[in-house]
Amino acid sequence: MWSVVKGRWHWGAIALMLAILFSVPFDWFLGEYTTLAIFIGINTIVTVGLCLLMGYTGQVSLGQAAFYGLGAYISAILSKTYDVNPWLAMFTAAVTTGAFAYVIGYPIFRLRGNYLAMATLGLGMILYILFRQMAQYTGGPDGMAGIPYLSVGGFAFDTPFRRYFLVWGFCLSILLISQNIVNSRTGRALRAIHGSEAAAESVGINVAQFKVKIFVLSAVYASLAGSLWVHHLRFVSPQPFDFLASVVIVVMAVIGGLASIWGAIFGAATIRILSDEVLLRFGEWDVIIYGLILMLVMIFIPEGLFVRLKKIYEWLRFKYAQKRAEP
Amino acid sequence: MSDIILETRGLSRYFGGLAAVDDVNLGIEKDKITAIIGPNGAGKTTLFNLITGIYPVTRGEVLFRGISLNKVPAHQRARLGIVRTFQNVLLFGNMTALENVRTGQHPRSSYGFLEAAIRLPKSRREEERIALNAAKYLNMVGLGQYAQENALNLPLGQQKLLAIARALATEPRLILLDEPGAGLNRLEKNDLSDLIHRIRDMGITVILVEHDMPLVMGLAEKVIVLDTGKKIAEGTASQIQKDKRVIAAYLGEDEDDI
Amino acid sequence: MSSDQFVQYLVSGITQGSIYALVGLGFTIIYAVTNIINFAQGEFVMLGGMISFAFFHSVGMPLVPAILLSILIAAAIGAVLYLLAIRTAKRASTVSLIIITIGAAIFIRGIAGQVWGKDFVRPPFFTGDGTFSFLGAYIHYQALWIIGITAAVTILLHLAFSYTMLGKALKACAISPVAAGLVGINARTMALISFMLAAALGAIAGVAMAPLATASYSVGVMLGLKGFVAAAIGGFKSQIAAVVGGITIGVVESLAVGLDWGPFTSAYKDAIALVVLLVILLIRSSKLAKEERPG
Repeated sequence: MWSVVKGRWHWGAIALMLAILFSVPFDWFLGEYTTLAIFIGINTIVTVGLCLLMGYTGQVSLGQAAFYGLGAYISAILSKTYDVNPWLAMFTAAVTTGAFAYVIGYPIFRLRGNYLAMATLGLGMILYILFRQMAQYTGGPDGMAGIPYLSVGGFAFDTPFRRYFLVWGFCLSILLISQNIVNSRTGRALRAIHGSEAAAESVGINVAQFKVKIFVLSAVYASLAGSLWVHHLRFVSPQPFDFLASVVIVVMAVIGGLASIWGAIFGAATIRILSDEVLLRFGEWDVIIYGLILMLVMIFIPEGLFVRLKKIYEWLRFKYAQKRAEP
Repeated sequence: MSDIILETRGLSRYFGGLAAVDDVNLGIEKDKITAIIGPNGAGKTTLFNLITGIYPVTRGEVLFRGISLNKVPAHQRARLGIVRTFQNVLLFGNMTALENVRTGQHPRSSYGFLEAAIRLPKSRREEERIALNAAKYLNMVGLGQYAQENALNLPLGQQKLLAIARALATEPRLILLDEPGAGLNRLEKNDLSDLIHRIRDMGITVILVEHDMPLVMGLAEKVIVLDTGKKIAEGTASQIQKDKRVIAAYLGEDEDDI
Repeated sequence: MSSDQFVQYLVSGITQGSIYALVGLGFTIIYAVTNIINFAQGEFVMLGGMISFAFFHSVGMPLVPAILLSILIAAAIGAVLYLLAIRTAKRASTVSLIIITIGAAIFIRGIAGQVWGKDFVRPPFFTGDGTFSFLGAYIHYQALWIIGITAAVTILLHLAFSYTMLGKALKACAISPVAAGLVGINARTMALISFMLAAALGAIAGVAMAPLATASYSVGVMLGLKGFVAAAIGGFKSQIAAVVGGITIGVVESLAVGLDWGPFTSAYKDAIALVVLLVILLIRSSKLAKEERPG
C-alpha cells in the first residue's frame, strides 16, 4: 500500500502533482485538454470504486456501469423533470444507489467466482434495458437533454474550466477518503479478508458485511461520477451504461491495479487518452485494444499494471540507493 | 471444583452420514491448559471448527460461560472472547507482522467506514490504542524486531508465533491452538511451551490440539482423547498415558480385544 | 391467440431455443472439464456464421465445404484461445480467467467488426428458402435443420461421453483431474479438446442459424448470455438440462412476445433470459445461505 505521506520527498512530489493538476485547465498549460481531463476525473472516481472492490473482495463486478447510470439518471430526472436542486439530486442519487447496492449486495456476495460475476453482469444488463425502455422517465434510447448545471449561490459551473475544478475536487476528495479508509481498521479488515477469510472471521471480522459495504462504497462512487457526468454534458442517454462500458471500467481498474487507489488515475487516464487518440486515427480499434489489454494484463500482470510499475520503480530506487552506498 | 468456561453437550457434527464428531461431552476448566489428542481423523479440528463457529452444529450445543453459542455467527465469537489459531497458520500475507497483530485488535475497537473516511478523533484515538496493544503482543511473542517485515517472509516457527500474537490481540478469554507445534524444532517447541504457560498465567484458558506427546505432557493439566469422533478418555497426562483404550486407539487394535 | 399462431410461436421458440441449447452445451462441456466459464463462447457462434458466409460469398466456395471449413477454423480458434490465453495464465484465479475470456470475447468481436464491418449478412439456406405446413403453422426448412442438428448433436454427445474412450476421459477430468492424471489421462489435452469441441458446437449453431436469422459481428453477446443461462439451469453439469433449458428460454421468449404479456414487448424479450438468470442465482444464493454458519 502506498501511503501518501512517507518522508519529505513525498511531500514534494505531492505538491508538484497538485501544482500540475491545478494548472491543467489554463490556456498556457493544457487548457485545450480540459474536457478530456474532466472525463478522466469522472472515470477515476468510478475506477477507484472497482479497484477497491476487486482488490479487497477478490471478486469482479461486470456491472459497475449500472450504478454509474443510476447516479446519472436519478440526478438527471430529479433535477430536470422535477426541478430538484442538483446537489440534493446528486445526494439522493448516491443514497438511493447505495441502498440498492446494499439490498442486492448480500444475496450477490453469497455467490462466488463465476456466479457472482454473472450476477453483476445480469444486473448491469437489466438496468441498461430499463434505462433504454422506461422512456417516459428516462427519455428512452434518445435520452434526455437540458439538465441544469450544478451551481453554488449564483456561481454556476457552466464552463469546462469551472467544472474541471469541481470534478477534480470531488475526485481528489474521494481518493483521499479511500486512502483514509484503507489505512484504517476498516482497511485492515478488508485486506484481511483478501488474505484469508477464515482467519479474518476468527478475529471477529464480519466478512460478509464488509464485502457488501465495499460493494456499496463502489456503487456510491459510481453514482457520484454519474451525477457529475450529467451535470457536465447536460445530457443523458443509455449508451454509456451498456455492458461494454462495464468492461471498460474493468479495463481501467486492471491497468490501475487492483486495490490501488492512486493507480486509478493512471488507469482512467491511460484508457481515456488511448481511446480518444485511437478512435481519432484508426476507427474502432479501441475495443480490440481493450480486449488485448485485458488478456495480456491478466495473464502476465494480474496485480495490475500500475502496481507492477510501482514495484519496478521501487526496485530501481533500491538499486540506486545500493549503488550510492557503495564506495 | 473450578469454573467450567466451555462446555459441550451431546455435540455432534455429521457430514452426510458420517459423524466427524459424535455426541461429545466436554467441560473445559477456566485458567487451565487442556490438550485434546487423538489419532488422525479423530475429529479434533472439526471440534475446534464447531467451537469457533466455522461449522454449524448438527446436534447438541456448545456453551461458553453458560451461553449457548449455537446461534452465534463465527465472527461474533471473537468479541465474546474465543479465538483460535489454524493448523496451516493462515496469516494475512498482504500485511506486515505488526499489521497482522493490529488486525487482531479488530473486535476490541469499533470505529467504522465513516469515522475512518474523515479521520474523526475517535478513529485516531482508537488507532493509537491499537498500535500500542499490537506492539505489546508482538513483543510478547518475541517478534518485535520483525514488525515491518512482510508476514510471509518469516520462517514457519515465527509465523506460528505471529499467529498466536494476532490471536492474543483479540484479548480473548479462551484460546484454541490447532497444532501449534507442528513443523517446529525442539528449541522452538520449548519457547512455545513457555509462551503457552505465560498465556495461561495471563488468565486465558488454553485448549490445544497436538500430536507431540512430550510437548503435551509438559503443558497439559488435563488431556482429552478423541477417536473417530467420540471422546474415549479424559484425565491428567499420566493417567491417559496408561489408559488401555487410548493405547488401543493409537495402535489400532480392536477395542474388544482388551 | 389462435392455435395456429400458438404453434407458430412455439415452433419459432423451439428453433431459437435450439441455438441457445447448442451454445449452452458448449459452456457445459468446457466447464465440466476445466471449471472455466468461457465468456467467449457466444463469439464462436458469430464466427460460424460469418466465416461460412465469407467463404461462400467472397471466395465463391460451395456451401458444404464452406460450412465444414468454418467449423474447423472455429475449433482452431478455440484451440488458440486455450493455448495462448488460458494455459499461459497458469493457475490463474477464477476472476482472472473470467476477465481473460471476456477480453478474448471483445477482441474477437472487435476484429470481426473491422474485417467484416457491421452489416448483417445472410448465407444461403441449406435446402432452399421454403416452408412447409405443420399443424397450421409454417415451418421453414432451415428451422427444421436447426432443430434436427441440435437433436443429433445432443444425442451424439451423450453417446460419445458415455461410450467412447475420449468421452469417458473427458468425464473423468471433470470429476477429478488428479485422478484422471493417475490413470494416464492428460488433463491439459482434455482441456484443449473441450475448448475445441465447444468452439465447434458454437460454430455449428452459428452456421445453422445464420441463414434464418442473419449474422453480424455483434450477435455473439446476447447468444452467449442466453446460452450461459441455459447452461446455468443445469448447473453447468447437466447437458440435458442445458438443452432443455435453452429450448425453454426460446419458447418462453417467443410466447411472451406473441402473447403480448404485460411489459414484454420485443424490446423486453432479452430481459426474460436475464430474469431467469437472476432467479437461478437467487436460488443458488439462498441455498448457500442455508448451508452457512450458525446465526
